[in-house]
Amino acid sequence: MSTTPTADMPVTEAGPAPARRRPRLPSRPRPARAGIAERRRARFAYWLIAPALAFMVLVHLIPTAAGTFLSFLDLNTFTFQRLFGAPWAGLDNYDSILFDASNPLHSGFTNAASNTAFYTAWTVGLTLLGGLAIALLLNRSFPGQRMVRTLMLTPWVVPSFVVAVLWQFMWQRDAGIVNKVLVDYTGVLGERPTWLLGENSMWAIIVPSIWRGIPFAMLIFLAGLQAIPRELHEAAAIDGAGPWQRFRHITLPLLRPLIAIQLLFGVIYSAYQFAIPYIMLGSNPGPSADLLMTLVMRQSFSNNLFGYGAAVSTLLMLAMLFWVLVWYRAFRRDLVEAAR
Amino acid sequence: MSAATRRRWTNWALNALTYGVLIVMMAPVLWLVASSMQTSGQLANGDYDLLQPTLQAFSDMWKSIDFERYLANSIVICTGAAALATAFASSAGYALARFRFRGDRAYGLTVIGTQLIPGSLFLLPVFLGFVWLKQNTPIALLDTHLGMILVYTAFFTPLSIYFMRAFFQAIPRELEEAAMVDGCTRFGAFVRVVIPNAAPGLLATFVYAFLFAWDELMFATALTEQDAETIPIGIRNFIGNYSEEYDQLMAAGVVSTIPVIVAFFATQRWLVKGLTAGAVKG
Repeated sequence: MSTTPTADMPVTEAGPAPARRRPRLPSRPRPARAGIAERRRARFAYWLIAPALAFMVLVHLIPTAAGTFLSFLDLNTFTFQRLFGAPWAGLDNYDSILFDASNPLHSGFTNAASNTAFYTAWTVGLTLLGGLAIALLLNRSFPGQRMVRTLMLTPWVVPSFVVAVLWQFMWQRDAGIVNKVLVDYTGVLGERPTWLLGENSMWAIIVPSIWRGIPFAMLIFLAGLQAIPRELHEAAAIDGAGPWQRFRHITLPLLRPLIAIQLLFGVIYSAYQFAIPYIMLGSNPGPSADLLMTLVMRQSFSNNLFGYGAAVSTLLMLAMLFWVLVWYRAFRRDLVEAAR
Repeated sequence: MSAATRRRWTNWALNALTYGVLIVMMAPVLWLVASSMQTSGQLANGDYDLLQPTLQAFSDMWKSIDFERYLANSIVICTGAAALATAFASSAGYALARFRFRGDRAYGLTVIGTQLIPGSLFLLPVFLGFVWLKQNTPIALLDTHLGMILVYTAFFTPLSIYFMRAFFQAIPRELEEAAMVDGCTRFGAFVRVVIPNAAPGLLATFVYAFLFAWDELMFATALTEQDAETIPIGIRNFIGNYSEEYDQLMAAGVVSTIPVIVAFFATQRWLVKGLTAGAVKG
């Protein structure tokens, strides 16, 4: 993920990303200074984006601003009637979440935050690895290729609430098929683990998330693999490169933009995971599997701690913004490549 | 062993591995279907009789969950939201694909930026807005189909815009230029020439939005009470009331998956193209 050019990475010009759309045009002709025709075109474009823009402002932007405002209020059961007129708390919510070790909300937050980081890292990492491995397998020609490629997508189409219900059933200690396979049929484990309570419950939500995510990662990687010209591999093979070297120096660099985009959205999507722990383990999944989203929803809607919930949400959004910046620094070069 | 034999063996082993992986990936889905066709007693003690499936759980579930209501709500809401999102995304995606205008970059970034906002941050204000509208105006959005359609439209328009942009970029500019030479207005060229050529993209975008709306739980939890509850809410309520009836739960899982599976596999060709084009173009 370093930004220093290496031999196996296509070197591109440094500096800010050039205009991505329509690179043939000079970089910034200001429409306002352009001719009447150009201005008319721009006006038409505004009409085209108007409906989507209106929805974005009404459902995303204004409510998000309002939500951020609520995070500075002391909004709880007693002040809820006054809503936006609740007492101003300044940074108190943030202070107690981040620094007040005596406040149970602080430990609840740090626990859920580290759980979320753990969940996200394992889910995204293994989803991408698994997706890539399966894509490589399916990129060969073999009997039934089309059918297998299609069927492999099935887990991704199963809704996540169904995934949660199904795996909750499969994780049951006595009747669940997982323990039956691991303990009764194969004897991999000596005694039956409890999956839905305690330490294991984190894995009880990670494994189904990976299972559901892999087909999508595979789909994207497979499209990327198919776009790699066969001649590259053939030429490298003639020059004596083995399969691993070809993978390392041809396939992987060419897949980098796809890895980048999936990392970006995978991390955001996982950090905001709610349905799987909530349906599988209930509104309080317990200290081992409580994610930030389940924490926020529980504290807000069960305990009416809306100011607190809004503050945690805002912190999470800031964390994701930070992630996007880190990501951008690491992969800027690949975006330039992909836009060509 | 000669090189050719070894290559044949490797090939064979990789084929076997491929099918092995497929079986592992499909196993939970098959288990869902198999379990839905057994009695709850069989699920509890594990002696499945796959040769004698029963559909009892389906009819029980239909009654105890009142599944029909949730199913109808989900279909209405998700179809409405997917249609609106596709319409808005195609016009906005067309603008981003073809036109330069002041703020185009900022708009494109904000659209993607909405994906960074945790739902929990704007859920309460949206809820409060709906309550306010209900109390002060005749506009009924709280716990109505319309309210859920509007919210989901907003949710799934942003990424749809990027899908549609990728599809429009693949359509040659000459097409609408020719139409305008022939006397079409700009809008006429868009509607009569560009849109029909982007039909696979529209379909892919529609199915994408439908799939994701079908899966949405957090906002449905807060914004519905009775009339507009969707399937995920029905499942959650069922777990709360009859947590031991796994046969019915599995049956409900199967029925909730069928519509999206059918929609997905019927449009798979275009959807895959849309999803991968969107991702590759970023």
